[in-house]
Amino acid sequence: MSFLVAAIRRDLLLAFRRRNDIVNPLAFFLMVGVMFPLGVSPEASVLSALAPGVIWVAALLACLLSVDGIFRTDFDDGSLEQMLVSPQSLHQLVMAKVICHWLISGFCLAMISPLLAMMLFLPGEGVMPLVLSLLLGTPALSMFGAIGAALTVGLRKGGVLIALLVLPLYIPVLIFGSGTVQAGAMGLPIAGYLALLGAILVFSTLLSPFAIVAALKISVRS
Amino acid sequence: MTPKRKKRLIIILALVFGAGLAVGLTMFALSQNINLFYSTSQIANNEAPVGKRMRMGGMVVDGSVKRASDTLRVSFGLTDYESEVTVVFSGILPDLFREGQGIIAQGKLDENGVFQADEVLAKHDENYMPPEIAETMKKRQEAQQ
Amino acid sequence: MKIKMPRWFYQLASPRWFYDITSMLLPWFSMIALILMITGAVWGLVFAPEDYQQGNSYRIIYIHVPTAILAQSCYMLMAVAGGIGLVWKMKMAHVVAKACAPIGASMAVLALATGAIWGKPTWGAWWVWDARLTSMLVLLFLYIGVIALTSAFEHVASGDKAAAVLALVGVVNIPIIKYSVEWWNTLHQGATFTLTEKPAMPPEMWMPLLIMVIGFYCFFGAILMSRARTEVLQRESRADWVKSLVEQS
Repeated sequence: MSFLVAAIRRDLLLAFRRRNDIVNPLAFFLMVGVMFPLGVSPEASVLSALAPGVIWVAALLACLLSVDGIFRTDFDDGSLEQMLVSPQSLHQLVMAKVICHWLISGFCLAMISPLLAMMLFLPGEGVMPLVLSLLLGTPALSMFGAIGAALTVGLRKGGVLIALLVLPLYIPVLIFGSGTVQAGAMGLPIAGYLALLGAILVFSTLLSPFAIVAALKISVRS
Repeated sequence: MTPKRKKRLIIILALVFGAGLAVGLTMFALSQNINLFYSTSQIANNEAPVGKRMRMGGMVVDGSVKRASDTLRVSFGLTDYESEVTVVFSGILPDLFREGQGIIAQGKLDENGVFQADEVLAKHDENYMPPEIAETMKKRQEAQQ
Repeated sequence: MKIKMPRWFYQLASPRWFYDITSMLLPWFSMIALILMITGAVWGLVFAPEDYQQGNSYRIIYIHVPTAILAQSCYMLMAVAGGIGLVWKMKMAHVVAKACAPIGASMAVLALATGAIWGKPTWGAWWVWDARLTSMLVLLFLYIGVIALTSAFEHVASGDKAAAVLALVGVVNIPIIKYSVEWWNTLHQGATFTLTEKPAMPPEMWMPLLIMVIGFYCFFGAILMSRARTEVLQRESRADWVKSLVEQS
C-alpha cells in the first residue's frame, strides 16, 4: 500500500513541476465549451438542451488529450523500463499512474464543470448530477485511456491512433454520463444512471490493470 | 500461507467482490426506468412526466386511425390492452404502420394527456410467417375466443 | 498446473503444416460456400414465402442475419486466437487473428448497411440510436482500432501482441450486443436464431436462412484461409520450405 501512495506522490509531484500539463486540458475543456454558443446558437433554450452532451463530450476529449502523457515521459527517459524490471507490483504501479492522471484531469474537470454548465445555461437541477457523473465516469475514462496509452507508448506517432483505440471504449461512459445530466436537468431520478456508471467504474478497475500491464510489457520490450 | 498465495487470494477475492458489486449495480440500474420508455398504462396513470421528451410503446387501436384530409397530420390510439393514449403525429408513417401493429412513438406528453409525437417507428418481432399461416392463426384465435 | 493440449493444437502452430493442410481444405470450403450461398440466396429470395407483415422486404434477413452473426463470431475468433497467441506464444494464432480483422470489419459494415436498408421501410428510419445498433457500431470501431494498431508497429510481433490485447479488451462488447435487445427496450427485434429454441418461423423460411448462415461460415473460412496463407508466405519468406515452393512453381 505504501508503494501505491509513494508512486502517486511521485507522479503528482512531477505533474506540479510541469503545471502546463494540468492547466492545458482544463483550458481546452472550457474553450471547446465556448465554441458551441458561438458556433451553434447563443440562444439559452437551444444551449440548455445541448449542454449535457456538449459538456460531457468536451470533458471526454480533454481526458483523451492528456491521456497520451500517462506513460510518455517515463518511457522517454527510461524510468518506465526500470519500473517494469523492479520487484514492485506492476498492478499497483499502473493504478498509481491512472489515479494520478484522474486527479489532474477528471477530478479537476468535474470541479470546474459548473462554470461551463452556467455558460451553457444548463438548468440548475442538472449541475449536481453533472459533477457526480463526471466524478464517477472520468476515472473509467482514465483507465481506458491508459490501455490505449500503454499500447501506443512505444510508437513515435501515437496521437490519432490512441483516439481510434480509446474512443469506442469511451462510448458507454458518454451515453450514461450525459444521460445522467439530461435526466437530472429534467428533474427525473438519476440513481439508475449513477449505478451504471459505478458498474462501469468497478468493472474497469478490476480488469483494465491486467490489460495495461500486458500492453506496457509489449510496448517496452519491442 | 506463503506471501505469493496470499497475494493470489487477495486478487481473487477482489475480483469476486468487484464482479458482484458490478453485477449488483447493473441489476439495480436495470430495475430503474432509465431509457425513458413508458407503456400506455403508465402514462394513463400519470407516472410519466409532462412536457419531457420520451418514448412510448403500444399497439395501434383498431379503427382509431384518423387522417387529416389536407395535411399529413394523423391521430391514433395506442394501447397495451389496459389503457389507451391518443397520439398525434404529422409526417410520413412507416410501411409497417397499421392497426394492431406494435409502435414506438417518440415525443412529448401535453397537459391534456395527448402524446405529441415527432417520430413514429414500427416495431416488429422475430416471428416471421407467411400470410396464409398468419391468417389461419388469427382465425384459430378468434375461434377460441 | 500443466494443461496438455491435443496434438493437432501443437501442429497448428507450424506454419508449414498450416499451409499444407489449408491447400487441401481451401477448394472444399470455397466450393461448399459457393453452392450453399447460391442455394440459400435463390431459395430465400425467390421461393420462400412472403412475410404476413412486411411482405417482401423481410427477405433481407437472408443477408443481414448471416453477416451480423459472422461479424460477432469473427470477433470472438480473433480475440481467442489473439489470446492463444499471447499465452502459448504461437505465431500462427496471430496470423489467424490478423487475417480475421478485415473480414470481420467488412461483415460488420454489411450487417449495418443491410440493417439500414431494412430499417427504412419497416421501422421508418435508416438509423436509430438504440442499444443493438450502437453496440454493433462499436464493434466496427473496435475492428478498425485492431487493424490500425496491428499496422502501426514496425516490429510485426509487437503489433500482433498489442492488437491481441486490444481485441481481448473489446470482448466486453460481444455480450452487450447479444443481450442489448433483452436488457433495453430496443426497436430491434429479438434474435432470429438461438441455439436453444426452435426458430419462430416455418421451416420454408428458416431453412434457407440456415443454409445461408452455414454458407457464409464456409465463405468466411475460405477467405480466412486464403488471407492467412498469404500472410504465412510473407512472414516465412526466409524459410526453406517457402523458397522451395517458389522454385517449384
